[in-house]
Amino acid sequence: MPPASDRSRLEVQLFSRMSTFTLDVEWSAGDGVVTLFGPSGAGKTLTLQCLAGLVRPERGRIVLDGRVLFDSSTGVDVPPQQRRVGYVFQGYALFPHLTVAQNVGFGLRDRPRAAALERARAVIARLGLDGLEDRYPRELSGGQRQRVALGRALAIDPALLLLDEPLSALDLPLRQALRDELRATLADWGAAAVLVTHDFTEAYRIGDRIVVYEAGRVVQSAPRGELLWQPASEKVAYIMGIRNVLHGTVLKASPDRIQLRWRGQTLEAVNSPSRSYLPAPDTPLAFFIRPEYVRLIRKDRGPADPHHHMNLMRGVIVAEEDWGTTWTLRVRLDAPGEPAQGTYDLEVEVPRLVHEILEIDQDRRWEFSIHRGSIHVLPS
Amino acid sequence: MTGESLSALALSVRVAILATAINTIVGVPLAYLLARRRFRGRAALDVLVTLPLVLPPTVTGYYLIVVLGRRGWLGAPLYAATGWSIAFTWYAAVVAATVMALPLLVRTARAAIESVDRDLERAAHTLGRSEWQTAMEVTLPLARNGIVAGLVLAFARALGEFGATLMLAGNIPGRTTTVPLAIYTAVQTGETGDALALVALLTGLSCVVLIVAGRLGARAT
Repeated sequence: MPPASDRSRLEVQLFSRMSTFTLDVEWSAGDGVVTLFGPSGAGKTLTLQCLAGLVRPERGRIVLDGRVLFDSSTGVDVPPQQRRVGYVFQGYALFPHLTVAQNVGFGLRDRPRAAALERARAVIARLGLDGLEDRYPRELSGGQRQRVALGRALAIDPALLLLDEPLSALDLPLRQALRDELRATLADWGAAAVLVTHDFTEAYRIGDRIVVYEAGRVVQSAPRGELLWQPASEKVAYIMGIRNVLHGTVLKASPDRIQLRWRGQTLEAVNSPSRSYLPAPDTPLAFFIRPEYVRLIRKDRGPADPHHHMNLMRGVIVAEEDWGTTWTLRVRLDAPGEPAQGTYDLEVEVPRLVHEILEIDQDRRWEFSIHRGSIHVLPS
Repeated sequence: MTGESLSALALSVRVAILATAINTIVGVPLAYLLARRRFRGRAALDVLVTLPLVLPPTVTGYYLIVVLGRRGWLGAPLYAATGWSIAFTWYAAVVAATVMALPLLVRTARAAIESVDRDLERAAHTLGRSEWQTAMEVTLPLARNGIVAGLVLAFARALGEFGATLMLAGNIPGRTTTVPLAIYTAVQTGETGDALALVALLTGLSCVVLIVAGRLGARAT
């Protein structure tokens, strides 16, 4: 994976009113892959179309490697034919009346014939499509089609590669395999790329930087690791599908710790010094706890030690779900009042092996502990 | 068959071929414009092209006289300048057949063009093709079956045109009498034997056309 440098290669600023919503976004990206992540209809595909010059925004500015592709204030609007932007469409949009070789070579017509043929051949070989040159798209498997679409876009040696849900047309097993293949291919070609997805795993696996879209706006833009642990708001956490998003009140906040009150418990969380978020006592506060970071206290090793086990709680398993390799337990804490999430307070995820060894199906009453580093505060 | 029937058949075929040729040149670009471009007056153009499909052919023929007749908007200046009028010539039969067949081609071709995935055209644009090149290399080749089906239907419609032809071209034996007009005349004058032969011929031809158009249409989807 090439290191994502701070140097901005792509600057995007778009404003466009549509009949159903308004796109109003601004973000920038350095080297590597940017993923636009968010629910359907958030404006991700529209952004790609604006980048490729297929749709003209009302206002905005697009600069790629110092080259202005669009600027409404100066009237610059480079047509799509001259942007040198490779586009992998959702569903691939391969030309059904052309062979694999003709599809891959489609964008090379301005080159001398011999050079164009050589380039198409090289791309076909590099993407492992040898022997399929004379096939038509309908004669290819889903994975092969994806590679042809990628090859067709990469053949023109694009300054920027755009990929719209490149894996959504595939079955799940193939999808997982091709996710890593796609990541490797993008790293191999070193092309600056913008990828659209509504699947967070995909966004995280492939992207170096993730831009979160919601209803035509950017709600967060961050390196992928930062996004995973520091969603900017409860809304971002919700879009990411984070579980155990909870609401408490602040007891005490310092630059590195936040104490909060939730369901009759006092919880201690790590504050992020970089965010310098210091809410006043009694401020309502949202936070989340990843289900796989809640620890069950083993009963065969003596009583739990409050000094060793942070944020110790007691509760009963009221429901559970078998996910194959893991179990999800729904826990109701021993605390008066309504449970935080309807019938339960916390979701806890344990590996199947742990579920078997601890005989959780026999034993429903447990003590739980959460490390303060695993309680993540969501600024409001 | 009599000489008059044969000459009617020859005229009908000539008119239908010419009308189909004009339809190809005018109708395919028209279908593309209506399918892919948004412009002022698009809805009006759509209605204008489709009107002959729903109006009684005699009404369409009447409008053709209003425009092209010796005292028509275009016909009058033409007659004043050259002393010639298109009315009651076999060219008039071509015009009438063209106008009557146009909506069949435009509607069929337009549906075929609209069914081409727009992402294919967008892909062609990002790969350096202008709109014209994209139409010629991607859109029209992919809509080909639908366009050909439309042309076949237009040819059949032109071959069978009656009402508008009668209004603008008249029914002059040996000059403007096409097969449908000849059938009408034959039945009116009681020469049923000849009429039956022409009826059978047109029916057979129409069946062939519908089969061909149906096959092309099925392959297009």
